[in-house]
Amino acid sequence: MTSTHEVIEPRSATTGEPVSVVARRNHLGVWLCIASDIAGTVSLLVAYSYLWSLNVNQAWAPPKNAFASPLPFWLITLGAVIGALLLWWGLRSLRAGRSSTMAAAAGLASVVLLATFVGQIVQLSTFPFGPPDGAYASATFWLCISAAFHLAMVVFLAMAILGRTRAGLVSTANPSHAHLVAIYTTWAAISIALGAIFATVMTTSPNDQSPPVGEFQQPPAAAASANPGS
Amino acid sequence: MSTATVHEHVDVPQPPQHGRPGGYLRRASILTGLVGGIGLALVVYWVGSLWLVPWGTTNAVTNLQVGADALWAATFAGWVIGFMAGIGAFAGPIRWALGRDLTHADAEYLAGRDQGKWRYWRYTTDHKVVGVQYLVMTLILFGVGGFLAMLIRTELGVTWAEVFSPDFYNSIIGTHGIVMIIAMIIAITGPLGNFVVPIMIGARDMAFPRLNALSFWLLFAAVPPLIASLFMGGIRDGWSVYQPLSAQAPTGGVGYQITIITFAISTGIASVNLITTTVKMRARGMTWNRVPVFAIGIIASSVMGLIWFPMFQYSQIMSLSDRMISTSFFNPLGGGSVWLYENLFWLLGHPEVYVIVVPATAALMEIVVVFMRKPLFSYKIAVAGFAGIVGISSIVWVHHMYMTGWAPSTNYPFMLSTEMISIPFGFLVLVLLGTIWRGKAWARLPMLAVYAVIWNKVVGGITGVYLSDTPVDQYMHGSMFVVAHFHFMLMGAGLFGAMAAISFWFPKMTARTFDERIGSIGFWTAFIGFQVTFFSMFVAGLQGQPRRVLQFDGAFNVSNWISTIGAYVIGIGMLIFLAAIIVSWRRGPAAPANPWGSKSLEWQVETPVPLENFPVLPVVTSDPYDYGVPDPYEVKEPAEAEDAKVGAP
Repeated sequence: MTSTHEVIEPRSATTGEPVSVVARRNHLGVWLCIASDIAGTVSLLVAYSYLWSLNVNQAWAPPKNAFASPLPFWLITLGAVIGALLLWWGLRSLRAGRSSTMAAAAGLASVVLLATFVGQIVQLSTFPFGPPDGAYASATFWLCISAAFHLAMVVFLAMAILGRTRAGLVSTANPSHAHLVAIYTTWAAISIALGAIFATVMTTSPNDQSPPVGEFQQPPAAAASANPGS
Repeated sequence: MSTATVHEHVDVPQPPQHGRPGGYLRRASILTGLVGGIGLALVVYWVGSLWLVPWGTTNAVTNLQVGADALWAATFAGWVIGFMAGIGAFAGPIRWALGRDLTHADAEYLAGRDQGKWRYWRYTTDHKVVGVQYLVMTLILFGVGGFLAMLIRTELGVTWAEVFSPDFYNSIIGTHGIVMIIAMIIAITGPLGNFVVPIMIGARDMAFPRLNALSFWLLFAAVPPLIASLFMGGIRDGWSVYQPLSAQAPTGGVGYQITIITFAISTGIASVNLITTTVKMRARGMTWNRVPVFAIGIIASSVMGLIWFPMFQYSQIMSLSDRMISTSFFNPLGGGSVWLYENLFWLLGHPEVYVIVVPATAALMEIVVVFMRKPLFSYKIAVAGFAGIVGISSIVWVHHMYMTGWAPSTNYPFMLSTEMISIPFGFLVLVLLGTIWRGKAWARLPMLAVYAVIWNKVVGGITGVYLSDTPVDQYMHGSMFVVAHFHFMLMGAGLFGAMAAISFWFPKMTARTFDERIGSIGFWTAFIGFQVTFFSMFVAGLQGQPRRVLQFDGAFNVSNWISTIGAYVIGIGMLIFLAAIIVSWRRGPAAPANPWGSKSLEWQVETPVPLENFPVLPVVTSDPYDYGVPDPYEVKEPAEAEDAKVGAP
């Protein structure tokens, strides 16, 4: 005698649809949000690299070339990556039927991401320069503010997944919210890593010949073509 | 388009019901939103005036009071956050985080069941309510922007005196520009994208109903800072608020920045919702080649908004940062670059034209098939046109910067890409003309409006080709010719297209018949005024009249008098059209379910549309534009009965 265990898929309480149907559109929605978020992050990175490459008025670098120490950037990136990996590990366990592991992973991820968020705030408040100290300072401050925003979001999401897993709302039969949070946390880690790469690798501008504002002169060739009679 | 019944009644286990359905949102409304918004703004202003102003002192570079700007930015942000909290926008995320998922009764309450007209003043999730809310907001914004346009034309028409001070004139130019841009962006995607698209594709609601309400109320919260800016020195740098002028502008500029930052979030959320709904919630049988072209146009517009709006948003975040905390993104003395601003701004600034025009064109396609009773001429070319516009729109922005001196070597590649975009745009006009070609039109207001919009599109499109040409642009770029051109595109195609679309879908949205007699008088009066205003402006531009200039040479007087008279005629026409909307909405005869005999799904449901749209979800068995094409699923009489009917042996 054989028996089959049929997994009955839960349904959404609000629409009555199978949760996998709701999950599919939630997935697309989250990916679209990430696409929009990518555009915003790209704006910051473009601003950073554009100003770095131009070094307008020789004012890219902060006073006394006091660039930020690279270590905090990478520690913060490491924290975000660990948070994302914990959520993926928890999701994998959840799919294998171990919801308590998911709850533990979400709890650990919450703690790690919260600590990382606090670290980001500490870094912001201990830079050796202030926001007005040139273009590098401006761009770096905003890369870090963006990282802090992403970290705040994922702390909230990871804590919510912890609570929802414990309440049985995130389960083996309905793991989609944990999956979505893991996806978003991964993107948050990537965006923080991109910021870290820019802020630590692209420090001294390659353009050390930019003219000071107010003393700009046409290059000789352009000046000659503009005044052919002279 | 046939429908069949797919109905499965399932008793779904419900999560625990905490309190009465709706929870906190039972008490929340626009009133609690206003209390929350004004309250938090006042608190922030009071706390900020103690802390921010003394801290802010003076920016050494721009010589501005940093603290005052920071204070107002924080106050406006307090308004937005307080309003959203008061109206209940944060209830959803908090409930989700606490594990208090909505029950079916909660969801129905949030959708506004049995709440009468009060549901329009609340955080209601029903897409039809959100669509109507957007429609009213659009009309209000057009009213504000149109009033400012009348002030502008009054100043320019009264050539013998100065009506306004130069600063105030600049303020009304900038405020008119951005109010109208916002109104045009939402004019079709907001009311019709929300109301019509879910029904059109056979869905019960949008994919994310709470996000739908969020997008509307964020828009609502974004408007007051913009209006307030008029009384705080105004937006004196045009709608583009170029740097470094923006950095040196009065505090009113902060209102603009908060508005754009908030509006960008609203647009992004709406885009996510519209795309997901169309991609994931189509009725069974609605394959991609059966999706109504209007829904495709809305997707195209949403994709552009989703990707490019953050660039604009971040340009304003950086501008605000430069003002508030003296960063140097755009300040050359601190290592910033004004060209960075211009690039970020125009990365959205040009695609935004297509964000406006594409849904309007898609709406015209829906109209033309119904009133010509013909299938759409080449559905695939229409889709290719939308796709081409989405793709190429991302590589044209530099044509706004030919004369700025930024990377002159890129001028010719961008000239080429800009001229290339006329090809997919031409596809769309071709589809409209091909559908009209050799047809017999049912001459009702929406159809006649299509002719008007095609004319405007052609004029706007051709003059745009001139301006994309670098050598011509050297002469034209700062002139009134540019102003006339973009009004032909944005207003001529976008606004008149929206008027056509609203008159077409009005019976479904309001359950009332639109008064076409008054509406037509308004539409054609505005159309005539529009031609008079902007053709005269083309002449002024060709003569060399610069834009954004209060005082000009007497040689331009006649053109400006004519333009001002034309503008007043537009104003009268718009008021008549608005009267037609209000009168029809209040006292119009009840509308039948399908007054135009359309085949698309939204016309197959009853009017007024019930809360869940369809009693049973439809199954689509044919194309939406198969006018004159036999339905293969139609039940036919047996051959014997046919024979007997004609007396065959």
